[in-house]
Amino acid sequence: MDANEREQYRAAIHGDRETFEMIIRTHSRTLFAIAYGILQSREEAEDVVQDSLVKAWKTRWRVRDAEKFPAWLATIARHRAHDVFRKRHTVSLSNEAIEPTESQSPDTTAIDQQLHSALAALPELYRAALTLRYFEEMDYRTIENTLGLTNGALRGILGRALGSMRKQLHPVLASMD
Amino acid sequence: MATIHDEIDNWLAADLHGELSDQERRELHLHLIECAMCRKTHHETKTMNKILEETLTHEKPDPAFEQRMLAGFRNRIPETTGVVKLFANLIRLRAVQITAVAAVLLGLVQIGRMLTGENAAPLGNREYYASGKFIAQPGQAGALRADQSTSLAKSDELATGRPQDLALQAPPPTTVPATRSEFDKEAAARSTGLATAKAVAATPENRARAEQAETKPGETPAPVQANRKLIRNATLQLEIVSFDDAVQKITAFANEEHGYVATTNSDKQANGKLRGQIVVKVLPENLDRFLQKLRGLGELKNQTLGTEDVTKAYLDTDARLKNAHVMEQRLIDMLKTRTGKVSDLLQVEKELGRVREDIEKMQGELKYWDSQVQFATVTIWLAEKNMEEPAAFLLKERAQLSLYAPDVEKIYNDIKALASPKVQITNAQLNRDDSGRVSATLSMLIVPEESDAVIARVKALGRVENFQMQTQRIAQGGGGLSENARTKRDKVELNITISREEQEQALQQTSLRIRTSSVDQKAKDLRTLAEKQGGRVRSSTFSRDPDGREFANISLRVPMKNYASLMQSLNSLGKVENVSVQRQDRMGAQIDETSAPADISIQVYSQGNIVSHESGLLATLRRTLAQSAGAIMWSLRMIGVAVAFLAPWIIAIVLVIWITRRVIRAKR
Repeated sequence: MDANEREQYRAAIHGDRETFEMIIRTHSRTLFAIAYGILQSREEAEDVVQDSLVKAWKTRWRVRDAEKFPAWLATIARHRAHDVFRKRHTVSLSNEAIEPTESQSPDTTAIDQQLHSALAALPELYRAALTLRYFEEMDYRTIENTLGLTNGALRGILGRALGSMRKQLHPVLASMD
Repeated sequence: MATIHDEIDNWLAADLHGELSDQERRELHLHLIECAMCRKTHHETKTMNKILEETLTHEKPDPAFEQRMLAGFRNRIPETTGVVKLFANLIRLRAVQITAVAAVLLGLVQIGRMLTGENAAPLGNREYYASGKFIAQPGQAGALRADQSTSLAKSDELATGRPQDLALQAPPPTTVPATRSEFDKEAAARSTGLATAKAVAATPENRARAEQAETKPGETPAPVQANRKLIRNATLQLEIVSFDDAVQKITAFANEEHGYVATTNSDKQANGKLRGQIVVKVLPENLDRFLQKLRGLGELKNQTLGTEDVTKAYLDTDARLKNAHVMEQRLIDMLKTRTGKVSDLLQVEKELGRVREDIEKMQGELKYWDSQVQFATVTIWLAEKNMEEPAAFLLKERAQLSLYAPDVEKIYNDIKALASPKVQITNAQLNRDDSGRVSATLSMLIVPEESDAVIARVKALGRVENFQMQTQRIAQGGGGLSENARTKRDKVELNITISREEQEQALQQTSLRIRTSSVDQKAKDLRTLAEKQGGRVRSSTFSRDPDGREFANISLRVPMKNYASLMQSLNSLGKVENVSVQRQDRMGAQIDETSAPADISIQVYSQGNIVSHESGLLATLRRTLAQSAGAIMWSLRMIGVAVAFLAPWIIAIVLVIWITRRVIRAKR
């Protein structure tokens, strides 16, 4: 993180609205990736990003260390997405409803559906890491910083995520060859 | 390569994501060549990666996503305006928070004050109102309004001459002037008639103002102002050079202003300066001019000018007087008609008497007011310059004398004999204490011309130890410096203390030793020597110790002038040793050096010639043996103590060890 960036975060924490809006431009995709990774729904993910940004602006003076500002943003988004996910889960359970991911995307192909169900079976953190990688094409280091993971842990997470998905999609993959 | 095979998923993922180092990638590829299963997995993973990439690309947010987020954000959090934003930012600063809390507390205190009635603002208003009233009181409201720029002093002057002028020249306009020009002319004429020539009604541009100025006095009817009853009085304090001159001048001024001097009184101070008060009555309209003139007389220290408006009281009394007159007339009529009983008539008579008394009282009151209004009262306090200058100086001398004499009582009586009309003894005291010490104190007052002679005579009676003279100059009837005040010598006060010579402390103390073979003989020689030099033996002792040494301690007192020769002669007695001299110079005391006493204490001694049994080789041996025997006994005792300390512990420890051993052995 260079000094310029840090200065930008500090200004945003001190209430510089223009700078904060600039940060919205640069960081909202990351937040979206995290939210989407957890929720598997674009609409909900967008709402989560929106809510997180508002919450971040309102509670921005809680950040002591300007360097941790992006990670803090990601944490807000993750928590918010998690809340939404949990709420949906209970609602869908009480309604005995079908998987919402499937209802959200009825037009996808069979592979897509299987892929999504395989994704849904993964833990939240795995999905967040996957989306950050595939949406934003972030390198491991940046993903680790954003999700607050220790050095090297991400390699295991992504490996396991891909491995687990591969096993689930094994029939499809085998047929594709 | 077991590690790679076990964690193939991680390796493949990292490889696909381009996160493997060159070395790692080489290792992975080597493994893939070797392991068919992993090759298959690699293939599958690659396919899945592709599917993932393709699928998730669809789910990626569209390009307008950021804009949407921004718009949503702006929508939900509207941008605050400059001031609100600044405030919002400020409120987060700790200093601002503290200040705000302090401000709130202050506000609460202020509200509390207002509720409890400690209200400052209305008071200020009241004051303002009062002062406004005061300015309006002298009846110059019209004048003030006519020309606001006129200075207060000027308007004051104006007001004094005003009532008559107004009454004569500005009756309320009863008819409206026919034409405008006529009105203007009249206005101009009237304004020149008044002292407010400044209104400059002649110039066309100021005409409107002049009009305004003129219409205003018309609003308040002039006769009312003329009838106001104002009592004016002034008080001045002046510092003048000569009181009589000032009185003459004030009288002249009073005559010039058609006034008169009512009372004069003066008071002469001890230093010949005069102080006094003059009350002058002048016509109120001349008051200010009169005061101006007074200022020329000397330095003005203080001036107060007061005006009292008694119009209301005057008019009230006047009205009551008229009523009383009517009542009186009615009662008289009742008496004239003579109807009714005698008791009623008596009642009427009594009532008439009361009414007449009232009438007289009221008439007197009105007359008093008239006189007060007719003339202004000026009270002038006069004081000549340098009021505090002293009238004379008194020179007080006080002498302190300490005498030492062999016979205190004789001198005490001699001094008492000096008493005469010019030398008065105020206090005489002779003290004799248990130890036979005698001292006396005397105090006397001597007329100044005799003082030097008497003091000289007293000094000659004994040895003067201390003489102090104190002179004090006391200013009378004032303070500070004066060039012409006389100086008078007061009686001289002399305090004498007489003590016996023995009690006197020696100026110099010497101690020495003289070694000689025949102590007794030399001590006798020493006495004769001392007597020859005018010294006295104060004490002497003689002793002989068991070793055969002899000591004679002799202490002498000689006058200082003989000290040196006595010391010289001591050398003839033997070997003089250990001479130490101690001199006590007393600060501030005037001492007659030559006759001051010097103490010498001399020890005459001889070397012992008998060897005592307490010294020598045998005695030393004996002492050594005795000491070593004592030391051995002491160490023996110490060992005993140590044993007593340690023995119980040692016994206890040994016992414990023994029991433990027995127990261990028993276990086996």
